[in-house]
Amino acid sequence: MTSKGYMARRLRVDYFGASVAGPAHRALRKPNEDQWLGASGAFGSLVVVSDGLGSKDRARHGARKACVATLRAVRAWHKNGTGSLDDLVGRIEPLWLEEIAPFDRSDCAATCLLALAHHDGRTYVAALGDGMAAVRTCGAIERVEYPRASGFSNETQSLGSGGVWAKRCFECSEIDIAVLASDGVSDDLRPDRLADFVAWLKDEIAALRPVARWHSLRHELNEWPTPRHLDDKTIAVLAWPNGGTA
Amino acid sequence: MGWAKYLEDITSRHNGTSLVQRHLQNEIGRDARPNKPKAPAKSRLNTQGEQNMSKLKDFTVATARPLPVIVLADVSGSMSANGKINALNDAIQSMIESFAAEDHSRAEIHVAVIAFGKGDARLHQPLLPAAQIKWERVGAAGNTPMGAAFDLVVTMVEDHAQIPSRAYRPTVVLVSDGQPTDEWREPLQRMLASDRASKASRFVLGIGDDADPAMLAEFLADPSARVYSAHEARQIKNFFRWVTMSVTQRTRSVNPNSVVVVDPTALDDYDF
Repeated sequence: MTSKGYMARRLRVDYFGASVAGPAHRALRKPNEDQWLGASGAFGSLVVVSDGLGSKDRARHGARKACVATLRAVRAWHKNGTGSLDDLVGRIEPLWLEEIAPFDRSDCAATCLLALAHHDGRTYVAALGDGMAAVRTCGAIERVEYPRASGFSNETQSLGSGGVWAKRCFECSEIDIAVLASDGVSDDLRPDRLADFVAWLKDEIAALRPVARWHSLRHELNEWPTPRHLDDKTIAVLAWPNGGTA
Repeated sequence: MGWAKYLEDITSRHNGTSLVQRHLQNEIGRDARPNKPKAPAKSRLNTQGEQNMSKLKDFTVATARPLPVIVLADVSGSMSANGKINALNDAIQSMIESFAAEDHSRAEIHVAVIAFGKGDARLHQPLLPAAQIKWERVGAAGNTPMGAAFDLVVTMVEDHAQIPSRAYRPTVVLVSDGQPTDEWREPLQRMLASDRASKASRFVLGIGDDADPAMLAEFLADPSARVYSAHEARQIKNFFRWVTMSVTQRTRSVNPNSVVVVDPTALDDYDF
C-alpha cells in the first residue's frame, strides 16, 4: 500500500447516500435525473451530487457525467500535487464537456455539489447551483452556497449554463459530517431544524450497516413528508466515525 | 456507495443503475447463506424506517410549495359605473374559491390583492393560502395610482419572508379601466427590472374604452402576450375564469414553473 493509500485508509471517512425519483418523474415514467457518486482512493473520500435540469433533454446524462467528471477532476488534481480549490473546480467543467459528448452542453445542464475529505487533512466543499452543501464543524452547521440565482424554485445555475461556484476549505479535525442534498431535499428542510437533520443523519443513519443504511435512506426519501412534493431527491454524506481525524 | 464499502471494494458507483438493483437483489438473496455478513431483515428495516420517518417530519416544511397570485385591482371611482366593481368583487371571490377547492394541485395557491384608488395603493388582501381567505368586498372611489401598485408588487415579490425561494414563480394580474393618474413608467421599469418580480407570469385586463391597451401591453412586456379587453361585467368574470384556469393548469402540471398558455376563447370547454 502506498503512503497516500495508507493515509486515505487512516482517515476512515465513511461515505453513503441514496437517490430516488420524485413523484413528477414517476408520474411520467421518467427516470431519476438526480445522481450521486461516492468514491475513495489515494485522494481520500469523495461524494458528489448532481441534479440534471428538468427542462433539458439530456438532464440525466448531464448529471451522471457531472459525477464522473468530478471524480476525474479530483483524481487529476490530487495526482498533480493538490493545488487550490479554484484549481479543482476549474477542472470539472472541461472534463464534463468531454464526458457529455456528443451532446450539447445546453441539453445536459446539471448542478454539481462535492465534498472531498482529502488525505492532506482538509475537507473541500464546493457547490454550483441549487441544493445544499453543509458541514458540521465544531458542532455548528456551515452551509456552502450562493443565493439562488432567480429566487424561485427549480431555477438554478449549472454546469453548461455558466455560474459561480461557492467553495470552502475546512480542517478535517473540526468536522464530523458533510452533507450534500439536491434541491428536492434542501428546499423542504426547515432552516431552524437543519442541525437536527444533520444530527439525525450522523447519529441514526450513519450508524446503520451499509445495506440497511441505503434501504433506510431510500425509504425516507420515498416517504418524503412535505405535501405535494415533486422533485427527485438525493442525499450523500461523508461521515467521520469519531468526530474528525484528530 | 454503501454496499461497495460493505464488501471492502472501494470503487465509485452510480445510483439507480441496473448494477445497483442486481447487487441489492444478490445481497438479499445471499442472506440465507452461511459465512456471509448478514444484512438486516426487511421487517427490521421497516421498523427503523417508520421511526425515522416520524423524525424526518420534524425537519421538513409541512406545507406545499406556494404559488403566489397577486391581483392589482383598479378601484378608482370610474369602476363604480355599470356594475364593474361588483363584477370584479364577484370574479375575485370566485377565483379564490376555485383555488381553495383545487384538489389536484401540486402547489398551494396563495392570493394577495393590491387595490389602487382613493389616492393610494394598499394591500387589501395580504398574501395567504386561498383556503384561508375570507374575501372582503372592495369599494370604488378616487383616482388610479397604478405606479404605486407596481411598487407594492416589487416590495412583496422581493420579500423572501413573504415569498420564499421554494415558491414557484408568481402570477401577477392587472385589472384597470383607465389611465394611471400617477407616475407609472419608472415603477413599471423597476418591476420589470427586478430580480424576482420580472420573472412573474403576467395577465392584464383592460375594462371599457378608457383603458389604454398600449400602456397595458407595456405591463406584459411580451409582444406575444395578449391584453384581454372587457366591455361588460360578464367579460370581467370570464377573464378571471381564464386566469383561474391558467393558474390551476400550472399547478397541475409536472413543472408548476412552466407557463401554461390556455386559449381564452375555450373557457366553456373547462369545468371549474
